[in-house]
Amino acid sequence: MLTFLMKDLLLFWRDRKEVLTVILLPLVLVVVLSISMAGLFDENQSDNYDLALSLVMEDHQSKAIEEFKASVHQSDRIPDNGKQEVIAGVEEHPPVESLMDFLTSPELENWLTVETMSKGEAKERIENGESNAMLLIPEGYTAQLLKNIYLDQGTAPSLQFSAKETAVEVDMIHDVIDGFLEQLNLQYVVSMSGGEVSMNQVEHPEGGTEVVDNDHSFSLTMDQYFALSIGALFVLFMASTVASRTGIEKREHTFNRIALTNTPGLHFLFGKTCATFVLSLLQILLIFIGSHLILGVFSERSFTFWMGMIFMASVYALAIAGLSSIMTSVSLRLKNPDAADGIFMTILMVFGTIGGNFIPIYVLPNWLQQIGEWTPNGLTLAILIEWLQFEDVSTLWLPAIRLLGLTLIAIGVSTMLYPRRGEIS
Amino acid sequence: MIETIKLRKDFKEKTVVEDVDLYLDKGESVGLLGPNGAGKSTTISMISSLLKPTSGDVKLNGESVVKHPSELRKVLGVVPQEIALYQELTAYENLKFFGRIYRVPKDKLETRIQTTLKLVGLKDRQKDRIKTFSGGMKRRINIASALLHHPKVLILDEPTVGIDPQSRNYILEMIRQLNEQSGTTILYTSHYMEEVEQLCDRVYIMDHGKVIASGSQSELLSILSNEDTMRVQLNQMSHSLVKAIQEIDVIRQVEETGDGIKIIAKKSTNLISNLVKLADQQNIKILNFQMENPSLEDVFLHLTGRTLRD
Ligand SMILES: Nc1ncnc2c1ncn2[C@@H]1O[C@H](COP(=O)(O)OP(=O)(O)O)[C@@H](O)[C@H]1O
Ligand SMILES: [Mg+2]
Repeated sequence: MLTFLMKDLLLFWRDRKEVLTVILLPLVLVVVLSISMAGLFDENQSDNYDLALSLVMEDHQSKAIEEFKASVHQSDRIPDNGKQEVIAGVEEHPPVESLMDFLTSPELENWLTVETMSKGEAKERIENGESNAMLLIPEGYTAQLLKNIYLDQGTAPSLQFSAKETAVEVDMIHDVIDGFLEQLNLQYVVSMSGGEVSMNQVEHPEGGTEVVDNDHSFSLTMDQYFALSIGALFVLFMASTVASRTGIEKREHTFNRIALTNTPGLHFLFGKTCATFVLSLLQILLIFIGSHLILGVFSERSFTFWMGMIFMASVYALAIAGLSSIMTSVSLRLKNPDAADGIFMTILMVFGTIGGNFIPIYVLPNWLQQIGEWTPNGLTLAILIEWLQFEDVSTLWLPAIRLLGLTLIAIGVSTMLYPRRGEIS
Repeated sequence: MIETIKLRKDFKEKTVVEDVDLYLDKGESVGLLGPNGAGKSTTISMISSLLKPTSGDVKLNGESVVKHPSELRKVLGVVPQEIALYQELTAYENLKFFGRIYRVPKDKLETRIQTTLKLVGLKDRQKDRIKTFSGGMKRRINIASALLHHPKVLILDEPTVGIDPQSRNYILEMIRQLNEQSGTTILYTSHYMEEVEQLCDRVYIMDHGKVIASGSQSELLSILSNEDTMRVQLNQMSHSLVKAIQEIDVIRQVEETGDGIKIIAKKSTNLISNLVKLADQQNIKILNFQMENPSLEDVFLHLTGRTLRD
């Protein structure tokens, strides 16, 4: 079998055009797409943002807090022993001030600039496009908010957020503010109900930004996405690249010559399977490493991260080998090798599409997405994206077992399909 | 050593090989002669266990090969009609690959490859890829690939198709050497009767899937013993003369050649005087007149009414 493996590898190596297509083309694609899309999708990269928010302050916080203190003392809703605590909490973290602190925190600072100004000025700036959005904190906001939360009086006030047009940038600012307010409200409510969570513990409401993270996949950059999806896609085609050599071997009659020997026919099949595994693994690793070297796609990632990538790449390469195993058997059964190639190509294109390698899978209808998750490429892509974001080892096992299962089934099927001697057309 | 018993192959409704009985004795050199499409390659595929016969059997030393082909495969070398080589690999790499799958012991493989390359005269081209070779050189490597495991029986399917006369002679000489010096049993398939005449002790003639004649060359030629073949050189060609000659009752076949006619006829005493008379009547001069030794080609013509190249 090793003989067959070496033969297939050697044949592949001899075909320089093939080698170039398989390794260089995807790399070029990753680079070109990343660079050209970088302009379009830049918004998703928080580092590159410089958004401006105009803040209009019409609220009078300190006055409102004084009034609130008085109300608390008179209130019979709050037990006496709780009163002091509530007041201390509010004094320590007055709502508007907390929001201001948050908006100017180092976390947001590098992509969001907040400037306080008059309403007229803010409107003008938005009109000129100097500012992306305006946040107006209306008169009586603090008072109304505190009353609503602690004394259950009146309705909850709202901030006025406005922008000239809807854009991703505006949404981002909006989401950040919303997220923070939710967090803040929660804290007040919790402290109100006498829960264990004290203000100090949740002093830095990081949750607010995390919510935004999930919505926009900050951590998955465009070039990473391209490296993963194009890598998985091109490796997919390795299955037919190797299998289609079977057609050549039939056409050039070398296959018959092999059948004249006492070497078991399955050695031929498994030689192809192993060759596909070796070549796919090399290919995907070269694409990953290549795009990393050229674009720094996976810079500053840990050793564990790379091990996970290599592990998933290996499992994926096995699945591809299984696929090419089936294709080899089928093309031995079909009379016309070119027709076989055509069929395989079509199947792989379909796999590539529903697996989300051509277009993001979210575009597809739900049921297709679910089927897509069963294609080796779709599954691998999804897992790699998840791995890239969360590096959670536990997410790898199940898909790996699923891919291995697919591989075993594929090899079993291909063994059954492999024509016995004298049946080869 | 090897024999076929009522070997038959149908493709769909079409019978391509029908009731073929042939045998190969140890050390013999046997020819399988027949025009294109006669069913020679199909017969060979069945003998070499590539193709399952529709019915009939192939036996090696009395044991059926169809069910247990592995003994046969060990002793059999097959040179297919097509160039069955990896075009992208070098001659050496091809031989190494095929040597391995023929299970040539590892320690012997290297010397086998080198002696075989020497035998086919391509030792100095072994590092070149097959696709850079000429037709004749490819044919030689095609043969070499079937020799590495030192087969006792070598089946060659039209090994000289489409190559220059020099390579052809080289190959024929090589096969003769294998037969005479190494004692290899040869089954040589061809539609060139000269090759078969030159190489083979015994000949099977196939047409339309059937063996229509077999025996040693002299046995086959004796089929023609009551016929004469003669060449008549004329000063000018005349279709009416050909027509007139065909009317003579002993004539079997008249064929126009470049400068005259070739006649096959039953032995008869007054044929020549008849010919002279007919030529005279049409004012045509007979320039030369020659009795010919019949060839296998003539045997085929006699049996089928067609030439091998038709
Ligand atoms: N696989 C096949 N299917 C159908 N017909 C075939 C097949 N192989 C050969 N034939 C037919 O069988 C006949 C004999 O072919 P072949 O054995 O190659 O003849 P030869 O080798 O004497 O030239 C031809 O008419 C050919 O068309
Ligand atoms: Mg033939």
